[in-house]
Amino acid sequence: MNHLGDLVSALLDGELTAGERAAAEAHLAGCLDCRTEMARTAAMRSLVRGLPPIEPPFGFVEALVRADRRRRRPAAFAAAAAVAAVVGLAVTPRSDGVAPPVGRFVEAHATATPGGDPVTNLGPPSVLPVSFRP
Amino acid sequence: MADVPLVDKDEQSVPDWEEVARRYGRFIFTVAYRLTGNEADAQDLVQDVLLRVRRGLPTYRPGSMEGWLSRITTNAFLDDVRRRRRRPVEALPDEPDRVVPPSAGADEALEASALPEDVQAALIALPEDFRAAVVLSDVVGLGYAEIAESLGVPIGTVRSRIHRGRALLREALAP
Repeated sequence: MNHLGDLVSALLDGELTAGERAAAEAHLAGCLDCRTEMARTAAMRSLVRGLPPIEPPFGFVEALVRADRRRRRPAAFAAAAAVAAVVGLAVTPRSDGVAPPVGRFVEAHATATPGGDPVTNLGPPSVLPVSFRP
Repeated sequence: MADVPLVDKDEQSVPDWEEVARRYGRFIFTVAYRLTGNEADAQDLVQDVLLRVRRGLPTYRPGSMEGWLSRITTNAFLDDVRRRRRRPVEALPDEPDRVVPPSAGADEALEASALPEDVQAALIALPEDFRAAVVLSDVVGLGYAEIAESLGVPIGTVRSRIHRGRALLREALAP
């Protein structure tokens, strides 16, 4: 039998038929090159499979949803805005389904605050917004 | 026990667009980022995907939402690549068994210690068709039959693209 070639990945992915698999395994038993190829391919496969999920920028998906609403229901949106203006209420954005990555904010704040307290990671009082002061 | 549904309701009913955007936004963004390699292009791609989802939802048949979304994402990505290109790039031939043979003294440990950023950079160095196959297989976790259907190519081509893709990644990560 020839070397396994593409079959190495198919074998790792469980994508060979029973017959192909038996033949591939028999070949592997006697071929060091193919065993090496198999080990290296498996390592590469695990690296890609181990890549972490990526968080979209904060508010990105919500912004798309809101833009879509405006596009689809401009009249309803304008009416809602007018009502809110008349009644004097702020339109509260919908917050369901939104999970702010608080940890990231804390980290960003901590690293972006010069002269922060090394113990609490808090910046000097002057950088805090007035409303946050006790 | 009363009325326990046999099938998860979410898998049965056609979901609302906003629900898809909110619930699968991170999933689509992850696939888009792995394909494009940067945040700005990933955002554009997600936007394109959600527009396609808006058009496609009425005909969506309940099944694997992730499979369906990743198929839309890779196709939107490949369409965009083709659109941007004035002339077709010299594609690597899809011939089987033309994988670079393992070089002597290759060290698996070096590859195993690669950082996610390095792996991402290696992915971006792959020809797009190979990248799409590898992402569908190893980021999304689709089987070869589903990948073949998503990309509109025979299973043999998927097999070859995935294996050659992995071999090229290895080369890119080699010191």
